[in-house]
Amino acid sequence: MPTRLLVGIFSLLLALPLSSLAQNKTITGKITDASNGNPVTGVSITVKGTSGGTSANNDGSFSITVPAATTVLVFSAIGYESREERLTGTNTLNISLKPSTTNLNEVIVIGYGTQRRRDVTGAIAKVGGDKLTSIPAPSFEAALQGRAPGVQVIQGSGLAGSGSVVRVRGVGSISAGGDPLYVVDGIPIISDPFLRKNDGGQNQNPLASINPNDIESIEILKDAGAAGIYGSRGANGVILITTKKGKSGKLRFNYTNRLGFSTWATRPKFLNGPEWLQMRQEAWENDGNTGQAPLPGGLTWEQAQKNNTDWWDLLTRTGFINEHNASMTGGNKWLRSYVGASYSNNESYVKGNAYTRVGMRGNFDFIVTKQIKISLNTSWTRGINKRVPAAWAGGIGDAMSNALPIYPVYNDDKTYFRNGTSNPVFRRDQTKWRNTENRYFGGLTVEYNPIKNLTLRASGIVDYMTSYDDQFESALYMGRTDVPGIAKRYPFWNTNLSGTFTANYNWDLNNDHKFSFLAGTETQEFKQRAYNSDIFAYTDKPFWENRSLYKHNRDSLVNAGQRKKTVTDAWTFVSFFGRINYSIKNKYIFQVLGRIDGSSKFGPNNKYGFFPAASAAWVISEEGFLKDNHLVNFLKLRASYGIVGNADIPAGSYYYRISQGTNYNNAPTLHPDNIGNPDLKWETMRNFDAAVEFGLNNNRITGELAYYHKMTIDQLLNAGIQQNTGFNKAWRNIDGGKILNEGVELSLNVKLLDKKDFTWNIGGNISKNFNKVVSIGTLTADAISGGTNDTRIIVGYPVGTNYLVRFNGADPNDGLPVWLDKNGKTTKTFSLDNRVPVGSVIPDYIGGFNSSWTYKGFELSALFTYVIGGNLYDGSAKRQAGVITDWNIRNDLLDRWRKPGDIAHYPRLTMNTSTYDGLSSEWQYNSTLFLYNADFLRLRELTLRYSIPNKAFKNSRIRDIKVFVSGMNLLTFTKYPGGDPEIGRDFEDKQDRNMSPNVTYLTPPQQKAITFGINLNF
Amino acid sequence: MNRIIIFLVALITLGCLPGCKKFLERPPEGKIQEEDALSTEEGVLAFLNASYTKFNGGHFYGGRLQVLKELLADHLEGQLLTEDFGEIYRRKTSIFGAFKNDFYMDACNIVYRSNTIMKYLDKTGSQRNNIEGQAKFLRGVAFFEIVRLFAQPYGSTPDNTHPGIPIRLQPGITNLDRVSVKDAYNQVITDLTDAARLLPESNGANPTKYAALAFLAKVYFQMNDFAKAYSFADQVLSVRSGADFLFKLDADLTNRYSIGKCKEAIFIASNQMGQFEPGDELRGNFRSDVSLPVLKYSSRTLSLFGRAGDKRRVWLNDTKYPSNIVLTKYNLPQFDLPIVTVTELKLIRAEAAGELNQNLDIAKADLSDILTRAGLAPLTNADASLVISTARQERELELVGEGSRLNEIKRIGVRNNMNVDRRGSPWNCNGFILQFPDLERASNANFHMNPEGGCF
Repeated sequence: MPTRLLVGIFSLLLALPLSSLAQNKTITGKITDASNGNPVTGVSITVKGTSGGTSANNDGSFSITVPAATTVLVFSAIGYESREERLTGTNTLNISLKPSTTNLNEVIVIGYGTQRRRDVTGAIAKVGGDKLTSIPAPSFEAALQGRAPGVQVIQGSGLAGSGSVVRVRGVGSISAGGDPLYVVDGIPIISDPFLRKNDGGQNQNPLASINPNDIESIEILKDAGAAGIYGSRGANGVILITTKKGKSGKLRFNYTNRLGFSTWATRPKFLNGPEWLQMRQEAWENDGNTGQAPLPGGLTWEQAQKNNTDWWDLLTRTGFINEHNASMTGGNKWLRSYVGASYSNNESYVKGNAYTRVGMRGNFDFIVTKQIKISLNTSWTRGINKRVPAAWAGGIGDAMSNALPIYPVYNDDKTYFRNGTSNPVFRRDQTKWRNTENRYFGGLTVEYNPIKNLTLRASGIVDYMTSYDDQFESALYMGRTDVPGIAKRYPFWNTNLSGTFTANYNWDLNNDHKFSFLAGTETQEFKQRAYNSDIFAYTDKPFWENRSLYKHNRDSLVNAGQRKKTVTDAWTFVSFFGRINYSIKNKYIFQVLGRIDGSSKFGPNNKYGFFPAASAAWVISEEGFLKDNHLVNFLKLRASYGIVGNADIPAGSYYYRISQGTNYNNAPTLHPDNIGNPDLKWETMRNFDAAVEFGLNNNRITGELAYYHKMTIDQLLNAGIQQNTGFNKAWRNIDGGKILNEGVELSLNVKLLDKKDFTWNIGGNISKNFNKVVSIGTLTADAISGGTNDTRIIVGYPVGTNYLVRFNGADPNDGLPVWLDKNGKTTKTFSLDNRVPVGSVIPDYIGGFNSSWTYKGFELSALFTYVIGGNLYDGSAKRQAGVITDWNIRNDLLDRWRKPGDIAHYPRLTMNTSTYDGLSSEWQYNSTLFLYNADFLRLRELTLRYSIPNKAFKNSRIRDIKVFVSGMNLLTFTKYPGGDPEIGRDFEDKQDRNMSPNVTYLTPPQQKAITFGINLNF
Repeated sequence: MNRIIIFLVALITLGCLPGCKKFLERPPEGKIQEEDALSTEEGVLAFLNASYTKFNGGHFYGGRLQVLKELLADHLEGQLLTEDFGEIYRRKTSIFGAFKNDFYMDACNIVYRSNTIMKYLDKTGSQRNNIEGQAKFLRGVAFFEIVRLFAQPYGSTPDNTHPGIPIRLQPGITNLDRVSVKDAYNQVITDLTDAARLLPESNGANPTKYAALAFLAKVYFQMNDFAKAYSFADQVLSVRSGADFLFKLDADLTNRYSIGKCKEAIFIASNQMGQFEPGDELRGNFRSDVSLPVLKYSSRTLSLFGRAGDKRRVWLNDTKYPSNIVLTKYNLPQFDLPIVTVTELKLIRAEAAGELNQNLDIAKADLSDILTRAGLAPLTNADASLVISTARQERELELVGEGSRLNEIKRIGVRNNMNVDRRGSPWNCNGFILQFPDLERASNANFHMNPEGGCF
């Protein structure tokens, strides 16, 4: 979509709210907390029966212009009970709101609608937008960590724009995606981290293009009662993202910024040059050799001893964080608008790496008539990821692996030293790389109320993304002199179209019996277009610096028939759904729902699936026996059971797929992609949830205790076939496959102190998930593996079980490793046949706890996140702390056996894998020697805010100024010696992503950042 | 009121349903269903053409095959090799190791493609024989290379009933176990014989009848069936083009890996700049003019080139990187990749003649051609045994870095019951063949894996 068009629309619409209609009246006043008299901020003020309104200022004051005939205003705010106030002729209203930490009337966004919290029968966690912007997380979903029970968020790495692995109540899938469905303003969006596969040690993160400042709230649907309405895509939970909308009233402006610095949270430590040489020599002599150990990189000892290169230092820096957000909201009787613009540049600590996002959003509601409302949601974002290779792909990964301290950066003649297997400085200097994504989002919704209580909604959206992967290599890097270098571009274009129609009817039979009916249909179509190969040119600069050359070469390659733009991925969904809610006396609430999903992803023999769910809630505190109980203010029981599905598999997997390749011998080529299966269908999850929600002691203690039992069957599998087929995987549903996730979640919020000038709140959540593979048919342990990560699917154990040979210490006599065989007997022969299930990458407990203190204008808040139980496996330690090779050596290997009698953690050093009897190579050193306790506690956020007193700017337009200083990942407590214990490495595919979180392979540690900024409202 | 809702939903449902079926069939444009793609001869030809990107690609003849063989053999200095290379070099491969396992899968993928082509032969027209011939050529050669690497050599047991490799002749995912080495070679010979019958004498860039015959010579030579090896090599080398032979030795040694200069190839993968540049894994692992390569040669190997005037000495360089000996054969950014050459066939014909003690003059002439080109004196007076030893010596030098040495260690091991491996392993020790990938057994508990290790 042309940017100019968007700008035009914005300009036009910005002008509209400025005019106001006649025959209105303006009501002003102030809103305070009934318990302490403090001003209440963020109160929403609406005219009863309408959905528009305004919100109060930070000092609690408000001003709303309403039609002269308005009789009742509704005041609602998070943390307070709503209050309706009748207008009695006066234009001034001073209101006090009663705190209600359960906030029963808070509106919760559910699939295709909203509900009051008290009426919700499913498991839904809500996180306010303010929580997402409090830290400079690389992407909004990372900021959910520790905020919602049952939601595990593992931030990918310290690279800019890095994505996170999000798991809602565990993982029940093997090869199908385990990520939740992301829905923005009602529309499923593209969030697939594998759009560019595993590229350079980082998966692409389409979510990074969403500006956290545009988000009003996030609701996470966890059980069938809530996520069931998303049918075949609800099994992994649903994350509903609601963007900010325009509010009635005068034009309001907001400007926030954030400036700061980033570095790594905690890093692995390696030996320096002399230490490295010493260890190598020791290994050499241990192996029975004499003289000096041969050195890699063609270096003599004399040359090596001259060098002591700190590659980590050469490749890192203090990153600069620079963010600015401006937004405007305003509205009148017939139009409300929200317009925002943002710029952020987040440099990671890796030199050359930064994610820059520039974006605009305009959300407009036109109230055409009393019955018709038209909403337009538009946004445009450009995300530029200045990429660096990482992990296995090199760069900072080299600094942790084969860029040795004994290697110089330059030879004596000032040329780059290149006899090592890599020189990351050479690579950084001689290559350039960036990913550019432009994402346009446009949604138009028409809402029509033909009669009272009936709402018909039709909406259509376009979610369009262009993505360029630009790479440049110099002639020197290519090892050629006949060309000046090469620029390559791999573009693709994604179009995600969706249309939804719903009808919603509320029928109140009488005061005691209330019904709500929903029926709807939805279609979605996704297409990705790309060229059959890269567009390239032999040139001396990247294409982003020479666009005309790109166009020229693209056109000539296309005209020569060597490049063709085709649809490389496409899928569709057609769905029909319905939901009925029935509430009796506000005490007993029942809900049934069902969805029929048809998808092009399913084989011809299984085109449509049906997904029903039923749920109920009992608000016990409404019963007579509890009504006036002083201790128990609120008590609700709820339960749900339903069937949801998972359809997160690549399109067209069911048929024998052929793709066109580049020409060979000037003739076309057709390649087989896979082995097809016409019976392919969704996997099915039977999902039970039960919970108790409570508010105690005048609602100063609130919380929820939930239990769930989820059984996934018919697992989608793309693995476990013999390689003599010509492939190593083929899609099918495992006959008899079963995976169980069962768990308990507790969340608690306590108002410890609630005085006029001083408040102290604490809160937290803890979740326990039990995951077990019940059956995988006839397949054995090695049939399904998590990439190269030594994790497996084994019956009786969790998804992603570490399958390793057990290390039983180093023999004090000879320093050789001692192993346990399958039966637990000690042996000195290493054998892969002795691998057993010994650990799990799934933790026992996850959660977070927070505390906030306010004193006058100051607010100090802290969030700790933690993981208890489970294991962390370090695939790179096989060489960093295993056999001595041409890799860097981790500090903790110093604790090794050296002479008879030594009690050491690590065996005697060796350069020859054959020293450890039975070991075939460093890579097959699959042992518990590199399996670690994954527990960690992290100070995820520490923020100090100060609201500058109003009197400082009393007579200006400024309504409110806040300044803050905030730290992210300031402290990390872990037993893992290899650096950062929070690992969501780059993954090969969805199966790897399901099975191998918490497995590191040179993963760059998380960022630590300190930022400060200002938040200005006027 | 409910009637309105029901009416609306019904209307939309009815309106959509006829369109839904089509809407829900959405193969991406660039991804075609096999039965559509291969419904015409043109489609089958394009499918076949793509097989060459695998066959001549990096994971097969484009380098990995040669690297695997060089690692297992005795020419390299591999003490410092690590990872998969270290494991292969130390002749103790395990069920893992992507370098080896991907080779296996991609070689089997060539077989899969050929099997798929056979399925669609009835969709072809005038080119049917050529297509079938090429598919069988590719399949036969793929089986031949797999069985040489993953099974003990032909002749290790008197009746060759020792385990060979899985032979899959139809595409599918049913589990297989290994057939005997005898059956595997029978399949190789059947495929190549059919290919020689079906393929034309001239076939553009694709393999010809002579390529199939040349491979039959290689197969029989590997089996120590010298009569057939001689016969097939001779058939190819005797073909006339006017007054001259169609296939002649290149005069210049360095032409073999060059752009456009190699004329002695019976089948060659031509470099197509920007489109297909064969030999990337050869360059990636051996190329030594830019930086020190991963694979280096031993001083013992260098000493083989010690005869005065031997021009092939330039293939190894011991000065550029102190204390490292590197190969220079692949020191070009791109080159045409010969798959089978006159040099190799002449060596086969000569040695087979020696073994048969027949046609020794032809053998001497073949060896003299090679010696003269290398700057050495021709072979004039020689008996059968000298022909054999000369052929073996010249083969080792001529084909250094091309993976031939491993085949020879095993072939000579069978032929003479002799361990010629300079690293001291018995020719038929367990680790001298590669272990099958874990998935062969993990998906089929009855699959017979190779015993591991035991070479040193």
